[in-house]
Amino acid sequence: MQSKFLRRFLKGALCASFLAAAFSASAFTAGTDYVVLEKPIPNADKTLIKVTSYDCPFCYRYDKRVTGAVVQKLGSAVKFEPYHLETKAKYGPQASRLFAVLILKDQASGTPLTDDKSLFMKAKMAYYTAYHEKAERWDGGESDFLKTGLDAAGMSRAEYDAAAKDPKIEEMLQKWKAGHEVAAIQGVPAYIVNGKYLIYTKSIRSENGLTSLIKELSAK
Amino acid sequence: MALKGDWEALCASPVDTLFKWQNQRFLWLLMAAAAGGLVFIAHAFFQNYLYMPPCEHCVYIRFAMLVMAAGGLIAAINPKNIVLKLIGCLLAFYGAIAGILYSLTLNKIHYAVHNPAGDFFGVQGCSTEPRYPLDLPLAKWWPEWFKPTGDCGYDAPIVPANVTLNSLQQWFVDMYTASGGWYLIPSLKFMNMAQACFLAFGTTLAVLIAMVVVWSIKAARANL
Repeated sequence: MQSKFLRRFLKGALCASFLAAAFSASAFTAGTDYVVLEKPIPNADKTLIKVTSYDCPFCYRYDKRVTGAVVQKLGSAVKFEPYHLETKAKYGPQASRLFAVLILKDQASGTPLTDDKSLFMKAKMAYYTAYHEKAERWDGGESDFLKTGLDAAGMSRAEYDAAAKDPKIEEMLQKWKAGHEVAAIQGVPAYIVNGKYLIYTKSIRSENGLTSLIKELSAK
Repeated sequence: MALKGDWEALCASPVDTLFKWQNQRFLWLLMAAAAGGLVFIAHAFFQNYLYMPPCEHCVYIRFAMLVMAAGGLIAAINPKNIVLKLIGCLLAFYGAIAGILYSLTLNKIHYAVHNPAGDFFGVQGCSTEPRYPLDLPLAKWWPEWFKPTGDCGYDAPIVPANVTLNSLQQWFVDMYTASGGWYLIPSLKFMNMAQACFLAFGTTLAVLIAMVVVWSIKAARANL
């Protein structure tokens, strides 16, 4: 009699704990899928920051096939903010400045930064293709390097030099410096939600999985 | 002739022969020379002569190989000395196991990078700064050998524009450029760098295990 009662009680407890687990369950866990940054990036609520470098093979793969699709699925839930890492590639500082100029232009014209028509996207893909597909290393120097991006964006060097003087460019580059420390944690690409949660690239299993994780973290 | 004799002895009484071998310098020195030699070839021939820059995991693999080589050298000082042999074994085992893990990671990265249409999810690319065990600042101390200058997953030659290659260099560079990186047989894209390293570490680990097992059997028998 007693054992029957005990068995029923245990069964009930087991069911209850399963239910509780199901309700509170999240498919993602801190430490495995993402890490909470000790030093968060300030003023980054409801953003998806992506730190990249043009010389990083996986940044290229992700930007080509994943980032745009994920940002589109996220819709207006989060704002996409691409950061370029100036400390990694040989022409990192030049690339960062050029990307900042083009991002400002895109923002002024209202072109989304993941759109194929975006000047930033055009230049970035031109660098990726040149570096990763054609083994271009711009041995001719800085002007050689800038030419690749400017040609893709359809901007003249004079136009670029003038636009690069805008104080907003310096502001953006300063803001991107916050990405250096985050990039040191696991390398690039680095997806950061709300400036607080760094997603572990090795745990990203699919486009949909990444989208759900970003949605979940942005709502935290 | 001597080799044939050794082989026959190994087949006839494997435990005794292996025990004899691990008490001699030859195998330990062979391991040190093979591991050290591979690192030397990677640096002098592939990196410097053929302009194939090492990536992050490639420099970790160099580190693992050199730990193995150090283990071999320490044991070879006097393989009959238990303390030296234990230190040598520990280093060699560590190098071999760490090397296998680095090779497996590099192999995953290699596939992800070389198959743009394929799945690259679940693979972490390279870090911005190399991190060695115990936070050893090897990249600062010997940047020529331990600083990653290549991008992860790529090992094809990148010849600077101001360099003129001689005909032999050109022949090798063309061969590895055509295959898109290092392969044991480039024309067939047979066995990439990561797989070749895996084989080297795996073989060493197997020999080490055999030696330690034989050593333990003998030690146990002696105590019985």
